[in-house]
Amino acid sequence: MADNLEEIQKSVKKYLVIGGLLLLFTVITVWLSYVELPTHGMNIMVGMIVAAFKASLVALIFMHLNHEKKIIYKVLLFTVILVSVLFVLFYMTHGDPLVFEGFDKTSIKHH
Amino acid sequence: MDIPYTVTARPDTGLYNAKVGIWLFLASEVMLFGGLFSAYIFLRVGADYHWPIHELNVQLGFINTVVLIASSVTVVMAWAFLKLRKFGMYQLMMAITVGCAAIFMVNKTLEYKAKFEHYSVKLTDGTILTGHLEHGYFVHFKDVNKLTLNVHLETAAIDADPVDYVLPYIEGEAPKFKTEAGDEIELNAASFAKLRSEAIDAMRKENENKQFQRDWTGTRNIVLTPVAPFKLKLPASSFFSYSDTNATFRDGTIAEGKLEDDRMTLDVDGIDVRSVADAEKSMAWEPDYLPAFKPVFIATRDHHQSEFKEKYPSRDPSKSATLQTESYFLKIHSANAEENMPGHEGAHSAEAQEPKEASGHEVTEAGGHAGGHHPVVVLKKKDISFFSNFTPKLNTYYAIYFTLTGLHGLHVVFGALVLLYFLVFNGKMMREDPEHLANRVEVGGLFWHFVDLVWIFLFPLLYLL
Repeated sequence: MADNLEEIQKSVKKYLVIGGLLLLFTVITVWLSYVELPTHGMNIMVGMIVAAFKASLVALIFMHLNHEKKIIYKVLLFTVILVSVLFVLFYMTHGDPLVFEGFDKTSIKHH
Repeated sequence: MDIPYTVTARPDTGLYNAKVGIWLFLASEVMLFGGLFSAYIFLRVGADYHWPIHELNVQLGFINTVVLIASSVTVVMAWAFLKLRKFGMYQLMMAITVGCAAIFMVNKTLEYKAKFEHYSVKLTDGTILTGHLEHGYFVHFKDVNKLTLNVHLETAAIDADPVDYVLPYIEGEAPKFKTEAGDEIELNAASFAKLRSEAIDAMRKENENKQFQRDWTGTRNIVLTPVAPFKLKLPASSFFSYSDTNATFRDGTIAEGKLEDDRMTLDVDGIDVRSVADAEKSMAWEPDYLPAFKPVFIATRDHHQSEFKEKYPSRDPSKSATLQTESYFLKIHSANAEENMPGHEGAHSAEAQEPKEASGHEVTEAGGHAGGHHPVVVLKKKDISFFSNFTPKLNTYYAIYFTLTGLHGLHVVFGALVLLYFLVFNGKMMREDPEHLANRVEVGGLFWHFVDLVWIFLFPLLYLL
C-alpha cells in the first residue's frame, strides 16, 4: 500500500488517466459489438477480452491489487480457481443431444 | 468493545483488519455473481429462441457505464485526498460518487419502467408482435347470472373469497344476490362470512355420523344468483381460465354468463417473424392484421440480405444473428406503411432520433401519440399463444436480465448508502482520526469498485452481445 504521500499525490493523476482509458474501452466495446465478425461467437469473445482488460485495470489500479499483501492474493487465488470452474461448467452440455445448428428456418419448422 | 487494528497493520497479515475482511467478503461476492454468470451461460447455450442482441436501450446502458466508471474514479480519489488531508476535496469526491449512484438508479428505473409497459405477443404460428397495450387487456363477460363459490371445511390452497377476487371486477354497481335459501343479500365481507360459516356448519353436521376422519367431505358449493345480470371486466391476472360461458376466478369462484369480448388491441412497434417457418406467410400479414406491412417487410429483408451478400460474399447469411434480426424483425416507427420502407429510413432516422434521446419520456408519452406513431391491430384470442410484458416471465433472457441487474442495483444502493454514511456521519473522525476514516473509505471504495467491475461484464453481455 502506497503510504508515501508523494506517491499518493501522483496517483490522483493516474486514477484520472485510468478512468479515461476505461471510458475509451467502453466506447470500443460498443463499437465492436456492431462490427460483423465471421461468427457472433467471435464478437462475444472479443467483447469479453476487452471487458476482462477493463476489469483488470479496475482491480489492479483502483483496488490496489498491483501492490497488495500476500494474504489477499492467497484468498483471491482460491476464488479465481473456483469461479473458473463455474464458467466452464457449461461444457458439460456438449454431451447434450440438443445441438444448435444456426438460425436455419427449416430446422425450427420441424421442431 | 473496540475492534483492534483499525489503523495500524496487524503483524501477521500486514494489513488492518477491515481490509482482510472486505476481501474475504468480495471473494464470496465473486462466487455469488459467478454463479449467476454461469446461469447466464447455461441459459444462453440452451435458449430455443433468438437471444436478444442490442434489444435493450444501448444508449442508456452506455450512459450508466460512464456514470459508474466516473464514480469509481471519484471514490478512489476521495480516498487519496483524505490521505493527503484535503478534506474539502475528499467531501466533494464522495458527494459526486453518491450522486453518480443516484443517477445510475434513476436510469435503471426508467429502463425497468419501459420494459414493464412494453408487451410481447406470440401468435400461434410463432410470429411475435411487440408493442403497447394502451388501454390494458381485459376479457369482458355480459349477462352474468350465477356465481358458484367453493367453500372448504379445512384450510385449502384455494378457498372462496369473492369479496377480494370477484367483486373488484364487476362493472358498475354490484347487484344484490339471492341465496339458495331465498334471502336477498348484498355481497360483502360480513355477509360472505355468514354464508361461509353456515356452509361449514352444514359440512360438520354431515360429518358427525362418519366414524373416520378420512370420510369427511370437506367441500361445498354456495350458489348466488344476482337479482339483475351484471357485466365483468377481467384483467388477465384475475382469472384461472374462461370459456364462452363461464370464467373461473383465482379463488375458485365460477361466474356463468356470456363471453362478450376477449380480443386484444395492440399498438404494434415490431413484427418478429424469425421463428416462422415461412416468413412471407406469417399471420402478421393476414388481411385483418397488418397486410400493408408485408411489402415493407419483404423490401427490408431483401435490402439487408443483398447488402450482406455484397459485403460478406463467403459467409452463410442464416448464421448471422444480426442479419437475422435486421431482416426478419421489422421495427415499425410509423403507422403509415410507406414511411417504414427501407428507402425512407435515411430521411426518417433524423426525426426518429429525437424522441429517443429522452427514452424515459418516450414511453410515458406514447399514450397520447400512439395512434399516430404505430399501427393498431385487434388480435383474436385464438391466434395468441402467449403474451407478457418484458418481465422475467417472458423468456429466460429477461429472467436473467432482471436477476443480474436487480442484484447489481441492490449493490449500488447499499454501497452508496455506506459511502453516504461515511460522508455525513463521520465528520468527527475525519478531523480527529483521518487515517481511520481513510481506511473505512478504502474498504467502502473496494466494494464500490467491485460493483463497477460486475457492471463492466454485465453491460456487454446483456446489452451488446
